[in-house]
Amino acid sequence: MVHSDLRKLIAGWRIQVRVIHALMIREINTRYGRQNIGFLWIMVEPILFAGLVAAIWRLWKGPEEHGISIIAFVVTGYIPITLFRHCVARSAAIFTANSSLMYHQQVKIIDFIFVRFIIELLGSMMAYIFIAGVLISLDLFPIPKDMGLFIAGWINYAIFSLAICFIIAPLSEVSEVIEKLIPVTTYIMIPFSGLFTMLSWMTPSSREYLLWSPFVNAMEMMRKGIWGDDVTAYYYAWNPIAFSLITTLIGLALCRHVRRTLSVE
Amino acid sequence: MPPCAKDAICRMIVCRNISKTYTHGGRKKVVLKDVSFTIGRGERVALLGCNGAGKTTLIKIIGGVEMPTSGKIERHMSVSWPLGFSGGFQGSLTGLDNAKFIARIYGQDYDEVRSFVEDFTELGGHLKLPVRTYSSGMRARLAFALSLAIEFDCYLIDEIILVGDQNFQRKCHKELFENRKDRSIVLALHNNDFIKEYCSSGIVLHNTGLHLYRDINKAIEYYDDISLKVSV
Repeated sequence: MVHSDLRKLIAGWRIQVRVIHALMIREINTRYGRQNIGFLWIMVEPILFAGLVAAIWRLWKGPEEHGISIIAFVVTGYIPITLFRHCVARSAAIFTANSSLMYHQQVKIIDFIFVRFIIELLGSMMAYIFIAGVLISLDLFPIPKDMGLFIAGWINYAIFSLAICFIIAPLSEVSEVIEKLIPVTTYIMIPFSGLFTMLSWMTPSSREYLLWSPFVNAMEMMRKGIWGDDVTAYYYAWNPIAFSLITTLIGLALCRHVRRTLSVE
Repeated sequence: MPPCAKDAICRMIVCRNISKTYTHGGRKKVVLKDVSFTIGRGERVALLGCNGAGKTTLIKIIGGVEMPTSGKIERHMSVSWPLGFSGGFQGSLTGLDNAKFIARIYGQDYDEVRSFVEDFTELGGHLKLPVRTYSSGMRARLAFALSLAIEFDCYLIDEIILVGDQNFQRKCHKELFENRKDRSIVLALHNNDFIKEYCSSGIVLHNTGLHLYRDINKAIEYYDDISLKVSV
């Protein structure tokens, strides 16, 4: 019994890997086509966004703030938030957009979320590596002091973004109001995302509130990993993990509910 | 689950107490209410019912495209996606890209699928154009060819067979009713002569209920009966 269940699980896993692979190729083909640089477009937008904002900040505020390079600081903030905002924007109405694929039983609605998340994740990681490589060679970006901590922070940030998508995707199918509110919400949350400031620059009381935000915790981890002893960071590594877990559970339950009522043309 | 041997239920599609209600803007429409039936291996079932009786809905539920509001469906054989005018394809991709996608998700070799599709559909250069530029007949050809290339135990067909020219019809009949005699087929169709010739049993949908006849003539009789009442 246990044995056959395990075999079923493995077979199911294989099918999902196959489906996600096929969906990714299809998504990249439809979104970027086969002309010019093709799928490399996925890294262009994060690069432009982080690069241009960093340049503006550099001109506006000078080379350094609180003893660290402004350009590097902006880049470390903008690449993760671009990942988050793109993921969320792409999850809205994701089931309706892909409904013709639900004709195939092995395609599950969760696959759509995974696929778009993986594409955004790859794009932002490629952008990060590219931009950091260029800046390091120009001596504008520090060589990460603690790569492990940085990666742990990045994973925390990404997992929480994915968890949010699990909620946004089904909710946007249920209510159009929610779909309309997404852009403004992701904009308003910017101050609570740890994008512009480190917690050590703030008053202790506001620091305490911001430490509830999974984004801030993950962002502090990443920046501590990059600058090491040059900065003071405050974070709880478990915070994004706990929030992701709760959010994912709620999100998966919502997805399940929405799938039952989804009408496919 | 016990190991499947000769046990009949292991080679069937079993639908238990299926209900389907669509809700839109606070308004509810009951399409199916507590219907149960089985489809055996090799059985050819005609789905009969007036427009709006729920034939397409039932086919979608059997194919797993939509979920029943309540009830359970067990598939003990592989079931094709509903072959019809729409669904199953990505309009912005070419016919061949769609074939590649479907070969991938069903774990089939693309080159084999491709050569079968090229041969069977006779669409030639159209296969390199986006599917949204296809006529419904061309889409039907592509869907049919792909489902034949992948090989299912049960085919779900929604008003599609009578589409297309004589030559294509002959091919379909040969592939489906001669070369794949052992497969199950669920067919939603209005043509009585065709049904009588090819189907062994019939499901009549009427007033959210379902009547299953293992004798196709009885099913047609009953269906004629109720459609006469409706028209009077």
